[in-house]
Amino acid sequence: MWNQGKYGEASMAGYTQSPGGFGSPAASQGGDKKARTRAQQIVPCTVSQLMSAVQAEDVFKVGEVEIAQVTIVGVIRNTDKSTINIQYKVDDMTAAPMDVKQWIDTEDMGVDNSVIPPGSYVKVSGNLRSFQNNRSLVAFSVRVLEDMNEVTSHMLEVVNAHMQQSKPQSMMGGGAGTNMMPTAHASMSSTGSYSGASMMLVNGLSANQNQVLSLIKSCHEPQGISMQDLKQKLSSMSVTVIRQIVDFLSNEGHIFSTIDEDHFRSTDNEA
Amino acid sequence: MTGVYESPKPRINASLLSQYIGRPVCFVGRLEKVHPSGKALILSDGEGKSASVELNDPLDEELSGIVEVIGMVSNKGTVMVVSYTQYREDKISFDLELYNEGLKVLHDFPQHYPFEVSLSG
Repeated sequence: MWNQGKYGEASMAGYTQSPGGFGSPAASQGGDKKARTRAQQIVPCTVSQLMSAVQAEDVFKVGEVEIAQVTIVGVIRNTDKSTINIQYKVDDMTAAPMDVKQWIDTEDMGVDNSVIPPGSYVKVSGNLRSFQNNRSLVAFSVRVLEDMNEVTSHMLEVVNAHMQQSKPQSMMGGGAGTNMMPTAHASMSSTGSYSGASMMLVNGLSANQNQVLSLIKSCHEPQGISMQDLKQKLSSMSVTVIRQIVDFLSNEGHIFSTIDEDHFRSTDNEA
Repeated sequence: MTGVYESPKPRINASLLSQYIGRPVCFVGRLEKVHPSGKALILSDGEGKSASVELNDPLDEELSGIVEVIGMVSNKGTVMVVSYTQYREDKISFDLELYNEGLKVLHDFPQHYPFEVSLSG
């Protein structure tokens, strides 16, 4: 099973490399971590993104996002099994079905090597490869979806991952996986983890959230803008929605309350 | 219509059907009705709106619950089905309303969920 502990791996390697133990200067450890985790993120993608990715030597990029290990979710259209591998064509509706190759480990009895039938929805985790202009995935995991809500969660994770990582100050951090799916149906923990847990981005917000945030930012009073004012200015939004947005922005660290729970200021102050 | 399989098939709900006439789409909905002929179905999306879908051959199996169809949208706004998949709900039920919210996100951010392949120079 592929692990999500990218952070753990990186910091352990840092530990053994620095004889001083954890007390070593954070700067060099941070540098090591950065280089290592950048190559080890697993990024949720669409087949269309994989096919459109620009390749520069060994590196693939979707926009600003560097991709190597990826996950896709789609339905199996075709299967082809040989003694050494299983080849699938997986369709996620964004492009023509993608070639996915899974090597069979004949010695590992713990791994189920039976072919998954066409018509099944799967999540594929693997590495993007390009060979003679043909893009394919070499999978280390092809798992049948038991919870179809993973289709929805993957859609959202793709947008989220690519949106967050399109920002210049990409937060590489320790690769802490963030599961953005707020539903109770969110399935097992092994959905793709990717770096990018920054709280500082404004552009990760929806149109409504941005609207509320801009209003709050535009108020230069020391006690900030009041709920009353927000309600007045945002006549298209219900109080409940405004309250939800304000709670969200506050949790994300974009705003804080001042004299009471109904007054807010932006944490990012334009003088 | 094998061309449909190889094309991008944007995920849409009933409200978007009219904007995709003549194009391949992917529609997910709850099975509401099967026409006696077995060749037409009514599916309802996460917003409760209905869509008609037509099959080439009559259904030869019992279908129920959530169905995903891919096909071309006709002039009348029905989906001419090329293939369908039933979403399994044996372990966990599918939240169609949430999927509909997901669709909105996809359509709000096409640059991060493209239903097309852009040829890189």
